Amino acid sequence: MARSKYGKRPDHRNKKMFIAVSLTPIMLLFITFTLLPIVMACVLAFSSYDGLRGVLNFNGFDNIRGLLNDELFRMAIWNTFRFVLLAVPLNIAITLLLAMAINKVRNAKLKHLLRTIFFVPVIAPLVGSVLVWQTFFNYDHGLFNMLLEFVGLQPVHWLTETKPAMISVILMVLWADIGYNIVLFMSGLDSIPDMFYEAAKLDGAGRFRRFRHITLPLLSRTTLFVAVMTVLSYFQAFTQFKVLTGGGPSNSTRVLSLQIYDTAFKYFDLGVASTMAMVLFAIMLSITWFQLKIGKSQWEY
Amino acid sequence: MENRTLARQSAYILFFVALAVIAVIMLIPFVWMLSLAFRSNFEIISREVSILPKHVSLDGFRAAWDKIGTIMIWFKNSVMITGIVLTGSLFTSSLAGYIFAKFRFRGRSFLFILILAGLMVPFQITMIPVYLIMKELHLINNLLAVILPSVVSPFGIFLCKQYIELIPSDMTEAAQIDGAGEFYTFFKLIIPQIVPALSALAIFNFIASWNDYLWPLIVLSGEERMTLPLALGMFATSRAVNYNATMAVAFFIMIPSLVIFLTFQRQFMKGAALSDMK
Repeated sequence: MARSKYGKRPDHRNKKMFIAVSLTPIMLLFITFTLLPIVMACVLAFSSYDGLRGVLNFNGFDNIRGLLNDELFRMAIWNTFRFVLLAVPLNIAITLLLAMAINKVRNAKLKHLLRTIFFVPVIAPLVGSVLVWQTFFNYDHGLFNMLLEFVGLQPVHWLTETKPAMISVILMVLWADIGYNIVLFMSGLDSIPDMFYEAAKLDGAGRFRRFRHITLPLLSRTTLFVAVMTVLSYFQAFTQFKVLTGGGPSNSTRVLSLQIYDTAFKYFDLGVASTMAMVLFAIMLSITWFQLKIGKSQWEY
Repeated sequence: MENRTLARQSAYILFFVALAVIAVIMLIPFVWMLSLAFRSNFEIISREVSILPKHVSLDGFRAAWDKIGTIMIWFKNSVMITGIVLTGSLFTSSLAGYIFAKFRFRGRSFLFILILAGLMVPFQITMIPVYLIMKELHLINNLLAVILPSVVSPFGIFLCKQYIELIPSDMTEAAQIDGAGEFYTFFKLIIPQIVPALSALAIFNFIASWNDYLWPLIVLSGEERMTLPLALGMFATSRAVNYNATMAVAFFIMIPSLVIFLTFQRQFMKGAALSDMK
């Protein structure tokens, strides 16, 4: 402190220079490719934009009104919710169970190996994984129907009939990313001190009661984080649907992210697509807000 | 007493076997990918249950090899995009994170709130305007269109800021009193201390960039401009599906991700847990 007396002025100027020189290009890129686009999206959402001719017309709430009567859009919202509401709870239940199971393995090397195996699908390029699963689901010569046939059951139109199509996508999605949440749950479980379990055992608490009264409450912070992140990422799931089903059959797996992509880049209706994106964002925000509200009331320990 | 330990022992073994079976099931898609790559297309569409090919056929690899020139172009595109995005985003994240963590200046909290806003907004919102901006800049079908938006990562800045705030300020102040320049302090004192955060970030960004499908699908279209995942998607949705060749290429794409993951596994798991801190 005493020394800075005679170095104060130039030091201060240097600092200012450093901040300006480093932060300006970073903020410029950020503004151009994140901030400005957010503002533009807000304008686009209330305009009609002819992508081919590049003409922008402000049209107020026409887009929203149009969407309210748009059968396909309503279907996309319904499908998105169907997907998220089925896949997220399944994901959390499976990953929590598997994380607890892997944590019980005594041999440290085997434990790491198991965790690694479950994580590999997370890092595998999604397009490649989807293609393999596509061959699994093939009606005529896919692995699943061959196995069904092998045990004497009727083959299933996994991707070509409306009912099983969403289930098929969910199976693939769960395989592809349970590894991530397993790792999160495992590190959450590790942070629960053993003494709680030992004390409960001494008090004669059974396995289920220990899970209900120690694991669940002490893990609630991790669970909340996992739930919020999984919901956010599943609302945006795109590649799985685009490559595996393309939204079919008869739009039964057409989710919002796919509908936004098609509206914008197949029909070049950028205005309506932006309105849809806003609706998606609004849904995501309100669900996250709701989750955090429920979560907050539960993790005060 | 002995009976009880025996029962417990066998329950544990049973439980472990069940877990191992699930783990093996997780690997089946990869085994299947390879196994299809080594079959003839004729065998693939015949209805036979076999995990391994009846006759090993190199047709798929041969078909892929015939396109090796184009595949190498896709590979080069993917490497270029991922390489630049990775170095760029690591540099900007740590630098901006350092500034937001350790400097007080006017507009600091406002700018940081803007960054947080950018962190929250889903890609579906920004992708349409960014596409228009790219069109305006005449960058459609140019690799720069994929690179530029990813060079600054709001998540990276946020992560680095959180991490750098934990570094005591005495040390950097001492260095500066001794006359060290700001960039010197940043490179020599800050960077070495945030290696865990940076490696986690590097791995996340590598996976995201190497595997990205949606954004390249929007801005790249020429065959010689494609990235590997984009080309693979096109490969598979084209009319004549060439199963074995597609699987061979899919396997080829996986190798870099796998190698990187297995090499940096430890940082990876730490990084995954790191994203939990808030």
